[in-house]
Amino acid sequence: MSGDFPVDPIALREEVKAKYREVALHPHGSFHFHTGRPLARRLGYDEGLIAGMPDSAIEAFAGVANPFSVGALRPGERVVDLGSGGGFDCFVAAEQVGAGGWVVGVDMTEEMLRRSRTAAAAMGLRNLEFRQGIIEQLPVESGWADVVISNGAINLCADKRAVFGEVMRVLRPGGRLQFADIANGKAVPESAVRNIDLWCG
Amino acid sequence: MLEECGFVDVEIGPPVDAFGGSAGESNARLFEVYGYAFLARKPR
Repeated sequence: MSGDFPVDPIALREEVKAKYREVALHPHGSFHFHTGRPLARRLGYDEGLIAGMPDSAIEAFAGVANPFSVGALRPGERVVDLGSGGGFDCFVAAEQVGAGGWVVGVDMTEEMLRRSRTAAAAMGLRNLEFRQGIIEQLPVESGWADVVISNGAINLCADKRAVFGEVMRVLRPGGRLQFADIANGKAVPESAVRNIDLWCG
Repeated sequence: MLEECGFVDVEIGPPVDAFGGSAGESNARLFEVYGYAFLARKPR
């Protein structure tokens, strides 16, 4: 194990990649979490927005809450999505920032990137792009972003301080981090914290 | 951790039952795991 993390960050990354490769290829498969349109409804996304999305844009969605519930994005804003997965939150962000804004989705999984790029092309979106990378080392210029969003990705990283450090780097002064993630109300036993299988189900 | 990393004006939204009815529900209930939306700012 490297550093002071409860699990090996590299091994965890490979586990996560394998799990979300499976979600990208088989979004209606059996997972320990909900996916797709029913999940978006459960998390309180706007019904009109959900209904208007083609299946390809939403079926691999695997978030844990709604990062837009703490505030809508503004027209013209530049946005980075950490762990963009199938692209659903990027598509929501692209609509909110409009033609004058720009959205960069970052994901490490080839299959998710292929899925999100295909969906964006099918929707005719021209104000976003998807880049391959890990969220502990964002492929984004320093101070570029007005807003960083994320949904259910930061908890899958062993080194969260590295992630927040990168968010701080890519945000402009005064920029916002608005993200969704899980938190537990009861302490998880040490043995479970060190069980890499439980990190990503 | 957000404040330790330098963020300010941290806000947390209400809990969301993200795992209810899923295969992961029992573990989520055991440790009271919910989804939350967070908002934080980088200082000017």
